[in-house]
Amino acid sequence: MSVKTPLIATFSGVSALLALSVSGVAIAGQGTPNDQGKAAMMAKLESLAPYKGYLEAHSSAQPQELLGGPLAVDVSQDSGGVHVALPDNRELDPAVFGTPETPRAFGGAPGVNGVPLPARGVEDGHYTTMKEKTPFGDANVVMGNGKLKLHLVDRTATDAAATEDEAKFDASWQDKDGNTYEVRCCAKMAAHGVDYPTFGGVVTNHILHGSSRIGTALMPTEYTYAAFWGMGEILKNGKVVDKPRLVHGMLTEYVRTTDYKLGFDKDITPSRRHFHLMVPPVMPVMGEGHYEKKPVQTGFKLPNGMELPFWHVMFSNLDIQAGR
Amino acid sequence: MEREDTNAVHKPRPGAIGRAAALLVVTLALPLSACAGNLPSQPVTVTMTNQLKFQPAEITVPAGTTITWKNDSVLVHTVTADPGKAARAKDVALPDGAKTFDSGNLDPDATFSHTFTISGDYRYFCQPHEANGMVGVVHVQASH
Repeated sequence: MSVKTPLIATFSGVSALLALSVSGVAIAGQGTPNDQGKAAMMAKLESLAPYKGYLEAHSSAQPQELLGGPLAVDVSQDSGGVHVALPDNRELDPAVFGTPETPRAFGGAPGVNGVPLPARGVEDGHYTTMKEKTPFGDANVVMGNGKLKLHLVDRTATDAAATEDEAKFDASWQDKDGNTYEVRCCAKMAAHGVDYPTFGGVVTNHILHGSSRIGTALMPTEYTYAAFWGMGEILKNGKVVDKPRLVHGMLTEYVRTTDYKLGFDKDITPSRRHFHLMVPPVMPVMGEGHYEKKPVQTGFKLPNGMELPFWHVMFSNLDIQAGR
Repeated sequence: MEREDTNAVHKPRPGAIGRAAALLVVTLALPLSACAGNLPSQPVTVTMTNQLKFQPAEITVPAGTTITWKNDSVLVHTVTADPGKAARAKDVALPDGAKTFDSGNLDPDATFSHTFTISGDYRYFCQPHEANGMVGVVHVQASH
């Protein structure tokens, strides 16, 4: 069944999703004089989004079907734990970000798929880490009783006003005090992106992130077996605590290294897989084509007493099935 | 003639927590950091942790020793010494004549035992966390 979605609505939603890297942080890092200046800069950058021409050309087009027919993917985890990412200063991979003399990956909306130069730490002619903490880094906590169930159908190949892609997702995990956290998706698929494509909300067999310019560059360039973008809800102990929220999930090759550090492109282990769940700390302003910072109400307290403002959760004990 | 190495998996059942705790007590009483000059003469336990480590990561035992791995974490781990399942060749090694072994997935509190009868150096890994450096070594010394 085709899900009709106004272009501008999903436009903003996906933009927000991709802003998860630093949300307002990257913008602040540009040194603009005040909030008004930041907003103006954001509006300008959004107006220059390189994907807008494509979206305009496809605003009334019917989605193109996936060559070879629909591909269904099922991913599950029935036992074991998860790694939950905590805010951290992501190290900057020179293969993705270049050097201060020859920078790369700065284009696109700040915090979306571009990382502005002022947001980057510099030392001895090299980039070091992001100046501010992001959802992408090495800091993490292990939680138990991790469960995951995902059913995807990649039917639509392109970004357009409508999509026939499907995602049914439910994941949960428990902290040491016995609280259960859960994310469900997708009441609506992100039929298209703005700075880069979402392929109708579900994509299979593609490279995302890093140097691909699809998704935040703060994650390594990684082969992705399947991924989805859509609108879902956040629960704690069985009660919905935040809704609607942008939800992104992807099954990829393994990008974590010794002591669970987030690797650079050269550190990836292609023969291993894991699943990433991301609920970013931003929300779309529906119908207006932009997004705003809005921490996720996760209900999980950080050691400093603050609430974790996003979910970035990794599952690695997976059963995977796929077929046409 | 040396016997083949043997192994066994124990997955925790409801009500098995008491026995698991008892095993842990025994484990803690053993010399986990045994060296060649102070070889353990009884079963040895290696734990698997939330920090993606085998503890101890390296151990020396006499031939005939049974090592039991216990998953003390909330994650799923494996004990795998099979070159065909390794992402990196350097993470696995077996002495001549030794057979591969693999626990399969070990849920939290599950155990896996393997008896080492062939002397030499064994290098094994956890399949889900090999890329995280979860690798262990067992040095098996010939019995006198």
